[in-house]
Amino acid sequence: MILHYFLTVSVTRHTKDLIASLSHLPFNIIPSKQKRFDRRMELSSGSVEGGVPFNDLPEECWANVLSLTTPRDVCRLSAVSPIFKSAAESDVVWQSFLPHDLESILSTAPDGSLLMSSASSKKEVYFSLCDNPIIVDNGRKSFSLEKKSGKKCYVLSAMDLEITWGDTPMYWTWNSISDSRFAEVAELKDVCWFEIRGKISTCLLSPETLYTAYLVYKFPPRTYGFDNQPVDVTMRLDEGEIGARTVSWNPQGRRRYINGSVTVRGSVHYPKERGDGWLETELGDFFSAEGEDGELEMRLFDDSGHWKSGFVLDGIEIRPKDVSRAAS
Amino acid sequence: MSSSTDSPTLTTETTQLSPQPDTETAKPTKKITLKSSDNQIFEVEESVAMEFATVKSFFEDSPSTDTVPLPNVTAKPLSQVIEFCKEQIKFKANPDEAQKKKYNAEFVTEKSDKDLVDMIPVANYLEIKDLLDVLNQAVADRIENKSVEYVRSFFGIDNDFTAEEEAALRREHAWAYEGVDED
Repeated sequence: MILHYFLTVSVTRHTKDLIASLSHLPFNIIPSKQKRFDRRMELSSGSVEGGVPFNDLPEECWANVLSLTTPRDVCRLSAVSPIFKSAAESDVVWQSFLPHDLESILSTAPDGSLLMSSASSKKEVYFSLCDNPIIVDNGRKSFSLEKKSGKKCYVLSAMDLEITWGDTPMYWTWNSISDSRFAEVAELKDVCWFEIRGKISTCLLSPETLYTAYLVYKFPPRTYGFDNQPVDVTMRLDEGEIGARTVSWNPQGRRRYINGSVTVRGSVHYPKERGDGWLETELGDFFSAEGEDGELEMRLFDDSGHWKSGFVLDGIEIRPKDVSRAAS
Repeated sequence: MSSSTDSPTLTTETTQLSPQPDTETAKPTKKITLKSSDNQIFEVEESVAMEFATVKSFFEDSPSTDTVPLPNVTAKPLSQVIEFCKEQIKFKANPDEAQKKKYNAEFVTEKSDKDLVDMIPVANYLEIKDLLDVLNQAVADRIENKSVEYVRSFFGIDNDFTAEEEAALRREHAWAYEGVDED
């Protein structure tokens, strides 16, 4: 007991001396030192019995745990208790869900700096990037985040793609339409060699993520030559083939197949309605491994040789594969 | 000490180079006694106790102490924290990142939810950053995709929201409740 008393006195004296000697240092050093002194005082005072109640952990501890879950978990778990809610709103948590290279991505967007300066919190930046894709790379790509995971999503605009005969106005024209996020889309006038290639550097994508690439397009009222013929799709990484499949232009193909009136080859992928007025066709999957950098190429080639017209190309979207939907 | 006082020249030199040689010198074999809030005594090597930043700073001010009361810490999580720190000392002496990763993973895998939850405030209070990182990740992995009720009982947290407040939060993030794991 006597030792204990002397300890307390000695710590108090040292604390005072140290605070006095620290007073000339930048102010931000003192709070953390002060915190440690406080703890040391607790050590010697012996005033608290039992363990530290878990409910009394500081908000930053909860924020550190929440940062290691996912955005979806954080939004749900904000309902656990008031301190969870407070941690779930914190910049510490939402900064951890924003891409590390966000600043460099936004530097190629005209309104990128506005987004950062006008948002009142990191959470607001996060949800803005989920709900409102921003145009980057001088108008050639759009960038957004997947809401539940914070993974990066890109749409390569038609301008960012290689379209065979795309620069010949006799075959393809470039127009501005209201329901595209991009300044221009490619509209097919007439062609028999139908080939589209998209390329993206894999270092732009989130690491350790399974992505799916989709062709985003629509058929105007007058369309011709897009029937049930098989269309060839290949995915390559640095020139090496990583996937190949057959797709069909006809959204009704699946129904006809189920009805048994048309015979098609297995695993043909059909267009799906996106719900935003556009159709999408799955081109293939790609797993972005940590630390690997390469060029991913997606190529779609309709070698049927038919003349075709009436097709509006918005671009190629690359977004994390929806595993739950794929499994169901 | 007595041998150095026999040699006046050496003493002078030592004094000039380091004014407080006794208080600053580490004694590798020294044992430190830690006393938990439930009065259990733990005798650990000084190097292990120095892994606890809070205890370390205590000793920086009171180097002559050899028993440290830990009024915020009960015996069970303290014994587990000591076990972890003992291993980390070995990895400091012989760095092996792969083995360390393996040990850290096994350390948390074999612990019950309650053990992990009880260790977090201890690691936080004693400021053991490496352990806190390992525990935070383990706990985050265990609450991922779990329901609000599950997480409350996981941490033993009381719900201080009113029914209206909670309902409003659930409405605001309705999308985040789809497809969570069964409790």
